[in-house]
Amino acid sequence: MDKSQDYVIEMLNITKVFPGIKANDNITLQLRRGEIHALLGENGAGKSTLMSVLFGLYQPEEGVIKKNGEIVKINDPNDATALNIGMVHQHFKLIEVFTVLDNIILGAETTKMGFLQKKEARKKVEELSKRYGLNVDLDAKVEDITVGMQQRVEILKMLYRDNEILIFDEPTAVLTPQEIDELMEIMRGFAKEGKSILFITHKLNEIMAVADRVSVLRKGKYIGTVDVANTTKQELSNMMVGRPVQLQVQKDPAQPKEVILDVKDFTVPSRLHHNDAVKHVSFQARAGEIVCIAGIDGNGQSELIYGLTGLEKSSSGTVTLCGEDITKASIRTRLGNLSHIPEDRHKHGLVLDFTLEQNLALQRFREKGFQHFGFINNGNVRQYAQRLIDQFDVRSGQGPVTTARSMSGGNQQKAIIARELDRDKPLIVAVQPTRGLDVGAIEYIHNQLVNERDEGKAVLLVSLELDEVMSLSDRILVMYEGEIVGELDPKQTTVQELGLYMAGAKRQGGMSHE
Amino acid sequence: MNKSPLLQRAGTQKLIASVLSIVIGLFFGSILVLIVGLATSDIGAKGAWDGIRLIFIGLFSKSRDASGNLVFGMNTTNVGNMLFRATPLIMTGLSVAISQKTGLFNIGAPGQYLMGTMATLMIALSIPSTSVPPFLIWILAFLGGCIAGALWGAIPGMLKAFLNINEVIACIMTNWIAANLVTWLFDIASFSTIKGSFYCQTKWKIADGTFKNLIENTKSGYVYKTTWNNVATPKLGLDKVFPGSQVNAGILIAILIAIVVFIIINKTTFGFQLKACGSNRHAARYAGIKDRANIIYSMAIAGALAAAGAALYYLSGNTEFNWHTDQTLPAIGFNGIPVALLAVNNPVGVIFSGTFMAMLNIIGTQLTKFTAYNEYITDVIIAAIVYLSAFSLVIRSLISGRKKKVAVVNDANAEKNPVTPTEAKTEKGGAQA
Repeated sequence: MDKSQDYVIEMLNITKVFPGIKANDNITLQLRRGEIHALLGENGAGKSTLMSVLFGLYQPEEGVIKKNGEIVKINDPNDATALNIGMVHQHFKLIEVFTVLDNIILGAETTKMGFLQKKEARKKVEELSKRYGLNVDLDAKVEDITVGMQQRVEILKMLYRDNEILIFDEPTAVLTPQEIDELMEIMRGFAKEGKSILFITHKLNEIMAVADRVSVLRKGKYIGTVDVANTTKQELSNMMVGRPVQLQVQKDPAQPKEVILDVKDFTVPSRLHHNDAVKHVSFQARAGEIVCIAGIDGNGQSELIYGLTGLEKSSSGTVTLCGEDITKASIRTRLGNLSHIPEDRHKHGLVLDFTLEQNLALQRFREKGFQHFGFINNGNVRQYAQRLIDQFDVRSGQGPVTTARSMSGGNQQKAIIARELDRDKPLIVAVQPTRGLDVGAIEYIHNQLVNERDEGKAVLLVSLELDEVMSLSDRILVMYEGEIVGELDPKQTTVQELGLYMAGAKRQGGMSHE
Repeated sequence: MNKSPLLQRAGTQKLIASVLSIVIGLFFGSILVLIVGLATSDIGAKGAWDGIRLIFIGLFSKSRDASGNLVFGMNTTNVGNMLFRATPLIMTGLSVAISQKTGLFNIGAPGQYLMGTMATLMIALSIPSTSVPPFLIWILAFLGGCIAGALWGAIPGMLKAFLNINEVIACIMTNWIAANLVTWLFDIASFSTIKGSFYCQTKWKIADGTFKNLIENTKSGYVYKTTWNNVATPKLGLDKVFPGSQVNAGILIAILIAIVVFIIINKTTFGFQLKACGSNRHAARYAGIKDRANIIYSMAIAGALAAAGAALYYLSGNTEFNWHTDQTLPAIGFNGIPVALLAVNNPVGVIFSGTFMAMLNIIGTQLTKFTAYNEYITDVIIAAIVYLSAFSLVIRSLISGRKKKVAVVNDANAEKNPVTPTEAKTEKGGAQA
């Protein structure tokens, strides 16, 4: 009995069923007072569902929630707030045109005779932000501040409501490395103050850095809870994925052959500014190598890929693909020789309201076998989709007829990768192919790309993750302000040196035209 | 994949939701009739009872007998007229539905309908039937109407595709441009002052002897009928099936077109492209589909369908086009919106919802004929139904919500019988972490 008093929140034997899927199967999670408790699991493991249950967004079919040892019923987020449970969602819930202060007090306004008492609110928020080192400009509009700042606003929202149990849903996915360090520091501060933190993530480094205990979920099932002090990254990833995972990419040295992609003096105008986003860039990609475009986000990588794949028009230079000049070719012509794993899977990669099978046939529906005199052969499309689903292990509630929107992010990405790699084209353009994915999926995608390379494809990779750049690529091109400022060999360079090129502090002479 | 149980399919739920909207709408109308009847001394309870019966089975009302009671039974005139009036409604309904399927909202059906009316009438009346066989004139007039509508529909399509101007705004503006343009083109005075327009005028003279319909000039405008030039849609024996009505083969053509549209949308690569562009223009572009062209195609087809409705209506031979100098937008164009809404944008469903709307129309005339009520009661019913069908998503989630509770009870079945995708979608963006 005394033991259970230690726990501020207990979720006991929670089961939540969705059509076609058991999202949570008999899961138990116990949060101690003043601890940072990580919740680890792959995409689709049921982490978000479990948190939504705690937050009153879903009602579990089985199981109970206890607060301080007493059973509570959480019917909606208002109940959760009343129990001092606060949550920072992965996608922030802020009103962009409101000021920071207005966002913080929204829904918990102090009023006198129906009039807002902003002065008191401002005082309280200022105190809080001083106490926890959460610096924000209270009068700035949310749309004008950085993502890191917006997260602080979300955190202040929880503090303003005197929440004792703080849930962070994948908080680091949108942050820069510095911002991540700062967030970790803030979280430690909260724990010291006696607040309890639930930290949802699939990044092992962060768990090792900040958490006290970690609970692991896999495919909706509870695997176990361990003390972070007594475990290793390898052990955690094995628990999460259910089998030993290689955290390092295994590959043989590259054997580059003929030139597949030849880009000369390539310029792409920017949509946002008068400036060019890509300035007179020249490079080549050969069969059998992985060429990585590295750089800090927003240095022209996206526009370079848009230009190469035809989504944007170029203003100078030539692009030769497999010996054919495609500088002015249509997107459809280009797709004849390249596979494109796009940066934004919701904007470009998928038609979210289409079914999985329609998405898998998105480029191929005009091909023979998929259509006959303009009529789509649904049987063949179904068969093809089923083959890809089996081969690439794309998981979904209802197989080929699942709506893409209802699939988890990792499986959406797998579907895109299945579609693109199966088209079997000499050039693979992969833009941040592992963004937001868990270790199991990342390992899988890395292995796929290495396999494609070994089969003689040219792979053009754009990545913002330094680990990925260093471990996956055979050749690194660093982009800074629209130019390629350096070409590096990952075996002979260090992360530090790469960082200097990315920040523009260093450049190789003659790499690119001014 | 096994098919899910009938009640859990998305299609079934949509159908139930629409039928529920209709039923509730009709009851709402009955209550209105009751209130109006009891509050008006010359109607009373008996009159109200007649009105309520007419609302539900007015299509089969025949007459009043000697003692003043309503007589019900098969009324071929009513059924035939219902089919006749359904024809243009089905076409404008299809026009709205196809644009909705492709992610656009075609509120320009009235303008496209007017342009179709104009082109159809001018072609039907300006080619002399003495030298060209009438059926050929009919085909030319029909196609000409469709092309005029397609071109008119393509304008907001192009504005959307190239300049990203909202098609609703562009459609509303092209509607009024069409109204004024048609007024101007039919205005004989302005016609004859333009150089070269004499060609058209002389052709008209061949057709009926005079461009201006002086015979019926007693009205404020001018009236045109294609029968002056012996052009009319064949009856194909339908007038024998439904004696005393205006029905003709137009309804068959409308049904045929609806089925063709259904096949194009659901079975062809072209439909796949249109839907892909409608759902996510960026992803379609990424996949090598010409997004701009498809937006224009979609609007052009929508325009052609609305105009085809006008062509079928005015080529029937029974209808007159009343041209006024203060040209207004035809209500039949706007009525395509509720027709499509009620059919949940399903082209085959449009056949039934269009027919149902036409039936309400007939009921309106029966109310006027047999009771002291007027036909505007049915407008209120239509309004109520439209209002409710806008809530059909809510109704659908209520239906599936009940199913879900059942599924939870027998847990094992829930795994075996996946519920429809719509349900997963209403679950705040997906079940998985």
